[in-house]
Amino acid sequence: MARLAADGVSLTVTLVIFGPSRSGKSSLLRGVHDRLGDGPGTVRMADATPFSPLDWLAIDLGVIGGRNATVHLYAVPGLAAYDSTRRLLLSQADGVVFLADSQGSRLEANLDALRQLQDHVLAREGDMRELPIVFLYTKQDLPSDLVLPLAALDEALNFRNAPSFTGDALRGTGVRDALQAALTLVLRRLAVTTEPADVAGFGAG
Amino acid sequence: MRVLEPWLADPLAELLRESSARLALVMTSSGQVIAQHGFTRSLDVMAAAALGAGILATTGELARVVGSGRGFGAVVHQGSAQGVWLAGFDTPRGRWIGLVVFGRESSVGLVRMFFERFADTVTLVAPPVTAVREVLAEGFERELDASLRALFGRS
Repeated sequence: MARLAADGVSLTVTLVIFGPSRSGKSSLLRGVHDRLGDGPGTVRMADATPFSPLDWLAIDLGVIGGRNATVHLYAVPGLAAYDSTRRLLLSQADGVVFLADSQGSRLEANLDALRQLQDHVLAREGDMRELPIVFLYTKQDLPSDLVLPLAALDEALNFRNAPSFTGDALRGTGVRDALQAALTLVLRRLAVTTEPADVAGFGAG
Repeated sequence: MRVLEPWLADPLAELLRESSARLALVMTSSGQVIAQHGFTRSLDVMAAAALGAGILATTGELARVVGSGRGFGAVVHQGSAQGVWLAGFDTPRGRWIGLVVFGRESSVGLVRMFFERFADTVTLVAPPVTAVREVLAEGFERELDASLRALFGRS
């Protein structure tokens, strides 16, 4: 969970990029990495190996709310083989960016992924309604007859009226807005509800 | 596996199992060993603990010199066949250090992820202490917006 370190200095937020297979999760992380690689934020990529079925990126946000804030972004392949990895990641997640494939032909895959997300949240004895989530509808750069518009995707997937954005993971459009919305939801919650149990003293990370 | 504090055994076993790490060592920031797995000679344990604590202390001082505040959270040494993950974490018993040796069957990302889980668990199962209520200072949304604008530019 989000960590307000007992040293009074640091804050770490974990966001999980979740979605169906081939919706652009890894592309999103690599796009962010390519974009920020030479920027002021500290960006690191996990080393991808066959034994490490996840992508990871840490971004130094600077001072947020009086803390040195870092956001960790995780993405796992949407394949069922990585179910346990997804479950573990979600158990640590402060928020989720749900990447839905905008193609009409992928609507059922999006719904399946959303159901999996709900199952994982239930498994950690959580409530989907309590999980900060935003939607990013990817592949909007495809021809318009192949993709659904924002309103239709919201109608089909976004039952809780969460913040939603259209974009393109490869080019990075919509990514900043989605990340900002997700971080804002997490931090608002943290600012209001932080209890002693959430206060850990870790500098690692 | 040998543990000074019995409640550490399960979290450490889980860290090793899930991350596929080869060796693990938990020590105080002064290098006193609290738990270890995989080392076959006590001399190796003592040497690794002392060197690990020394490395973190050195990088902490380096961080101070270059203005990185409290220090670097973790240090990774990546070799051709094995890597070492070294990180400090605060517990109700004070600041501890974890040293994890991993091979090609694992990775930095995997070790890091399960190490953080281990650190979380240690705090949970350790005897409780009174924590101070902490909240974010006001104005964080404006600061977040400014930070992301600076990182991404206005797209």
